[in-house]
Amino acid sequence: MKASTCKNNLITLGSLLVLVLGWALAAKQAGKEIILPSPLVTFQHLLGLLSSAHFWRHLSATLLRGLTGFGLSFFMGLLIGLLSGLHPPFKTFFQPWLTAIRSTPSMALILLALIWFKSNAVTLFVTFLVVFPIITQNVSEGLQQVDPQLKELARLYQVSTSRVIREMYLPAILPYLATGAAAGLGLTWKVMIAAEVVANPPLGIGTQMDLARIFLQTAEVFAWTIVVIMISLFFDRLLTSLLRRRLFYWE
Amino acid sequence: MIAINPIEFRLNRITKAYGKLQVLGGLSFEVKTDRIVAFLGPSGCGKTTLLSLIAGLKTPDSGEILGMENKTLSYLFQEPRLLDWLTVAGNLSFVLKGRLSGEELTKRIDYYLQHMEMLAYRNVYPRRLSGGQRQRVAMARALAYPSRLLLMDEPFKSLDLGLKYELINRFLGLWASEPRTVLLVTHDPKEALLLADEIYVLSEKPAQIKGYHQISVPQAQRQLTDLALLQLEQEIIRELIEQ
Repeated sequence: MKASTCKNNLITLGSLLVLVLGWALAAKQAGKEIILPSPLVTFQHLLGLLSSAHFWRHLSATLLRGLTGFGLSFFMGLLIGLLSGLHPPFKTFFQPWLTAIRSTPSMALILLALIWFKSNAVTLFVTFLVVFPIITQNVSEGLQQVDPQLKELARLYQVSTSRVIREMYLPAILPYLATGAAAGLGLTWKVMIAAEVVANPPLGIGTQMDLARIFLQTAEVFAWTIVVIMISLFFDRLLTSLLRRRLFYWE
Repeated sequence: MIAINPIEFRLNRITKAYGKLQVLGGLSFEVKTDRIVAFLGPSGCGKTTLLSLIAGLKTPDSGEILGMENKTLSYLFQEPRLLDWLTVAGNLSFVLKGRLSGEELTKRIDYYLQHMEMLAYRNVYPRRLSGGQRQRVAMARALAYPSRLLLMDEPFKSLDLGLKYELINRFLGLWASEPRTVLLVTHDPKEALLLADEIYVLSEKPAQIKGYHQISVPQAQRQLTDLALLQLEQEIIRELIEQ
């Protein structure tokens, strides 16, 4: 087990090395920093960003917005998911809405939101519409997987609805909720940055990326992109480690 | 002794079919309070359907069930049906909390767990228990629930012989300390002979009553090797295979 983990780490390291090498070669071939900056130049820009004061303001603005959007989506998704999982008519009712939202291109949502709202609200609105159906779907699917024998048990012993939800349904759907949350959180950052790029709120990573693009500072676009990848990885790891500890404590 | 028990509930010409398949063919019987009544029949003869009808999980096609209004039920299933994410004690309080609270709840849980020799496991999650231990927890849960009527659907089916008789004895001990009406369905004549005051023998589908027997020897004094029980067993087996 340990030997194979070590081996896998080596392979991952090798894979990253090949990627950076390929990038460096391509940059050399392109010959212009404006088209493709080299890894070294990008890294220098990244260091410059990290040491600047405005970096942290933009970073925290995006983080706050992303987590707010995700939080809203999570609770609404849980609520609608529970409703539609427990009462099939609700599911039938909400299904067309969810299908419509899911089939709409994110960019269409962003454009419409731009017409309707101020820039800050645009990003929240779009993130919400993209992430909340994912949570809803996972919750309602999880509820359908709850053992019918347990449902019958709860019914026969006349266990109250609130206790059935708290002590039976919620723990039973936790794995589904976790999958939904991980997928939703990953999407949050992608959609949030896209919305920021288009809506240009005063503070935000997306706005900075758009500015860098306008001034043809390609290396800075790359540097910000790496920051976004790091944010995404960080929250993914955080969620996984939190959930692994909580999820199957009974096993 | 038999006559003084009032009637707990009564079935009148109950029929039930699933599509074209007639499962129950007009069953009528009455059950007296605090008696253990066994229904013996071949596998798939509609025994579980009978319990579901009495529990109100299904409705009969015709006939009536009298005396079941507002009756508290507990149910012991073939499988333990424990919630994996709740401890042993948590599984009991899951069904009990609506009826009891505080110290009374804890006391009752511990009392029944102790009698099932599961008190040491009160804070253990079900996945860590053996099959027999899980069924003991399920039995503690069914008995701890303050019900008027206990329905048992082949609760000893998946257990090996030694475990089966051990559980039957534990069950009888607890039942004597808090008697209630019990309906047991099983395909095993020995189980019925050890547990029941009355035994109904059911036919193949559509289930009808083929035989009825009463056992007056108290459960605590019964031995499967007693001549009278052996003779009764022979008679029941004959009724079961004659169909």
